[in-house]
Amino acid sequence: MKRNSILAAASVFALISGGAMAQETLKIGALVTMSGAGASWGNGMKRAAEMAAEDVNETGGLDVGGTKYMVEVIAYDDSYKANEAVTAANRLVFEDKVKYIIGTVGSAPILAIQPITEENGVITMTLGFTAQALTADKPYTFRPNPTTAEVAQPQIDWIVKTQGVKTVGALFPKDETGEAIAKDLAGAYEKAGATLAATEFFERDRVDFIPLLTRIIAQGVDAIELDGNSPVTAGQIVQQARDLGFEGVILRTGGPATQEIVNVAGEAATEGMFVHSAFDPGVESAKAYEDRYVATYNEPMNGFSPFFYDGTKMLFQAMQDAGTVEDTEAVKAALEGISDYGGILGTMNWTGEDRYGIAHQLDSPFYIARVTGGQEEIVARCTSAGCE
Amino acid sequence: MSMSATSSAPAFQPMTVVWIAGIVLAALIPWFTGSVFHFHIAIMVCISAMATGGLAVIAWVGQLSLAHAAFAGIGAYTSVLLVTRLDVPVLLGLPAGALVAGAVAFIIGAPLLRLRGVYFVLITFALNELFRLIMLDIPEFSGGSSGIAGIPKISLFGVTLSNYQSVYPFALFCLALVMGLLVLIRRGQLGRRFAAVEENLALAESSGIPTAKTQTIAFTIGSAIAGFSGAFLAHYVGFISPETFGFQLSVSYVIMLVTGGRLALWGPLVGALFLTPLPEFLRGAVEYQHVIYGVVLIAVLRFLPRGLAGLPRQLSRKGGRG
Amino acid sequence: MSFLIAQSLINGVILGTLYLLMAIGFTLAFGVMRIVNFAHGEFYMVGAFCALIGVTWLGLPFPVTLALTIAVAILLGALVERVVFRPFRNDELSGMIASLGLAMILQHGALILFGPDPQAFPALVSGVFKWGALIVPKSRALALGVGIVILLIFYIFLMHTRHGRALRAIVQDQEVAAVFGVRLEIMYPLGLGLGVALAAVAGGLMAPLFGVSPFIGATPLLKAFIVVILGGLGSIPGAALAAILLGLIESFTSSFVSASAADIVTFALVIVVLLVRPAGLLGRAEA
Repeated sequence: MKRNSILAAASVFALISGGAMAQETLKIGALVTMSGAGASWGNGMKRAAEMAAEDVNETGGLDVGGTKYMVEVIAYDDSYKANEAVTAANRLVFEDKVKYIIGTVGSAPILAIQPITEENGVITMTLGFTAQALTADKPYTFRPNPTTAEVAQPQIDWIVKTQGVKTVGALFPKDETGEAIAKDLAGAYEKAGATLAATEFFERDRVDFIPLLTRIIAQGVDAIELDGNSPVTAGQIVQQARDLGFEGVILRTGGPATQEIVNVAGEAATEGMFVHSAFDPGVESAKAYEDRYVATYNEPMNGFSPFFYDGTKMLFQAMQDAGTVEDTEAVKAALEGISDYGGILGTMNWTGEDRYGIAHQLDSPFYIARVTGGQEEIVARCTSAGCE
Repeated sequence: MSMSATSSAPAFQPMTVVWIAGIVLAALIPWFTGSVFHFHIAIMVCISAMATGGLAVIAWVGQLSLAHAAFAGIGAYTSVLLVTRLDVPVLLGLPAGALVAGAVAFIIGAPLLRLRGVYFVLITFALNELFRLIMLDIPEFSGGSSGIAGIPKISLFGVTLSNYQSVYPFALFCLALVMGLLVLIRRGQLGRRFAAVEENLALAESSGIPTAKTQTIAFTIGSAIAGFSGAFLAHYVGFISPETFGFQLSVSYVIMLVTGGRLALWGPLVGALFLTPLPEFLRGAVEYQHVIYGVVLIAVLRFLPRGLAGLPRQLSRKGGRG
Repeated sequence: MSFLIAQSLINGVILGTLYLLMAIGFTLAFGVMRIVNFAHGEFYMVGAFCALIGVTWLGLPFPVTLALTIAVAILLGALVERVVFRPFRNDELSGMIASLGLAMILQHGALILFGPDPQAFPALVSGVFKWGALIVPKSRALALGVGIVILLIFYIFLMHTRHGRALRAIVQDQEVAAVFGVRLEIMYPLGLGLGVALAAVAGGLMAPLFGVSPFIGATPLLKAFIVVILGGLGSIPGAALAAILLGLIESFTSSFVSASAADIVTFALVIVVLLVRPAGLLGRAEA
């Protein structure tokens, strides 16, 4: 009889999930990476959705077409793996019956879940940097954060012009993000009148960059570009490049990660580094969000988090505009129709028609900052048109 | 590792019947609940069980392969490339994946299998890494680190299995084929040779069993099954990349095999059935899930050396004594 | 070009010494207990966190922290030996699989305790030593120096103390050692404890160089693996030779070809060595 109970235990799991559907509850999925190296980003995204939900719940719920909805965030982990993401997406879509998913962190996971989400009309908001995530035949996918493709050119133009950089060296992880960014950056430097002279690709978990940096520095580059690397890796590259006596410009034209880089490399090594920043602490709402994040979770804020807070809020507004939470086609159309949205980071608009064939890429203001004493100090303000 | 009682099958016929009944019942769960998600989980169980079944065949000659994910990857890439580049029907792509994975295993098997125990584990570990690194380096075939997305779904004679309810019967059918193959091997002369090699290589050699050939056969069959499961996975999930078939996947097959029962016929099935759904309990807090995996693994090794599949016998024996 | 060669040589030797520290504990645990310890990298991670806690939370000086790390690690290793590995003493495969479980528990335990973000580790020294165009970062020189001192102490312990001789006897032949009165009950926990301590001290030493997070154990484990396969499981001189060799191969291939070539060359070499000389460069042939 015992054997039956084992089998039962092994299979009963399935019967437990789901749960009673409370009245007027709006479920949102957060399909993000919560274990493994992508967890910093995943937590930032999940918490953004949670805080956005908290905001509307505090006021008695989200008012859509006269009905109040309490928002519930269901968070599942994908461990940054495509297979795990597919299972979690299946569970969210078919079991939890969510119509909206904040996620995924990675490029591979979003490409893997799109067949499910697009077919079932589930709106996703992904961080994945791959250009393939946004295409005309994937109308339900949105990306609320700018990628290298959006921010690289104006920043690189500015750096090349003001810092007199001619040749640049860069290390990229050998993964989908690294390869995409390497291509974008090479084009951007070319356009700005400089060259990405030395590039190296390395296995993602590599920690010793001294041999690669030795080679890059030996080629006499003026600057080292960090874009495309995870915060930890970028920190290690900075530290080891400075250890090797590299005195040129170090810059990162995409991906908010300054705090982590400083943590790893230390203040001395990062002094004078130029970084991309989406975050101006001078903007009151942005500062307030960071303070709230730190107070709530007792951890430094991940740089991508504010985008997903704004993204979730825009999603809520789209539901209200459309007057429905069920008809995602109407919500999608309403979301596309939002313009000049007053987000915590500034004014947001949809863009990307030219680049992706669909305007599902959020365009927001960004900055070039110089790291001084471990802190960002904004030196130029940018839009996709240029920096000054 | 000893398998003294395993070949005395007739004595435990009632037990086998109960096992089969239990497994059939478990297989029917998605139809009872009607949940699409349960169909998905059930399909994943089938795929994992097939792969783990392949690993079991290799374990039957006393070897533990940590390159199993790589062979699943070979099968997956073979089928996907055939289907997308040469317009081969998926139904032919799946066995082609098995064939190529098996062929690779056959070619490299002979030198590899001279190593035993931890040395074999180590070289297969290195092979799995090498596979991943090489695939990353040939993006024109593998899609590089971006992988291949939008892989065609499984279709049978022109009918595409577009939803989970229609994939599941086919997955069950494939699993039944694999398990049938396992039963045939186990009950046949080959199975007795495997067992002899597993138990005592030197003794088997001296009693006239061609041990090298026997091990190569097991490695080839097991890896071919892995290739088949990998191809199935690719067409089901619709996305593969070299990272899909990394060390972690190999480890998870090992964990399923050990948890189910390394040498038991039904071990792979029980292991997959138990461990594939387990993460769903903790989908929101996966760090705890991994800790639990670790504890389960060590506890099973310690207290259930025959795995979950051996639990009933272990219990009945204790009961008998008490 | 000659500058690049010299610089690669120096980089390679430094890297090799760091790998050796990892590999020697791994090979010792295998030599004594016949366990291929997949959790070895996680002990490196534990050591790094111990150092972090000592230096930043408790404000202890670095040498004191390292000593404490070693003490904690030896105790942890002995505990793990008793709770996890003891039942699998005569079963290499089960022991190895158990170590996979242990690795999961340790890594995700750290994730639960410390979160996924990398932690800041204050730099102990900064600046570089320069000889002409040649450059050695002081932080690496320090890690190298301390590493060599620890390896020397370990060598003296192994060659010139009673327990050290007993450990070597077990590595040579367990049964004979037992016949000659070596107490396995003490030697097993000691062997694993020392192996774990070497990994942990490597973690503590590398923490200022490579950062601290729950996921840092994977790379050192891989390196230890490669070194130990090349050098021969259980062979300490083999590990020494292979570690330096690996450091040089990585350094030169990365400097002159490319990083991914370095990885492929390494793994191809591992496979060739395993096929041609399964016992490794200096290992004893298996029975």
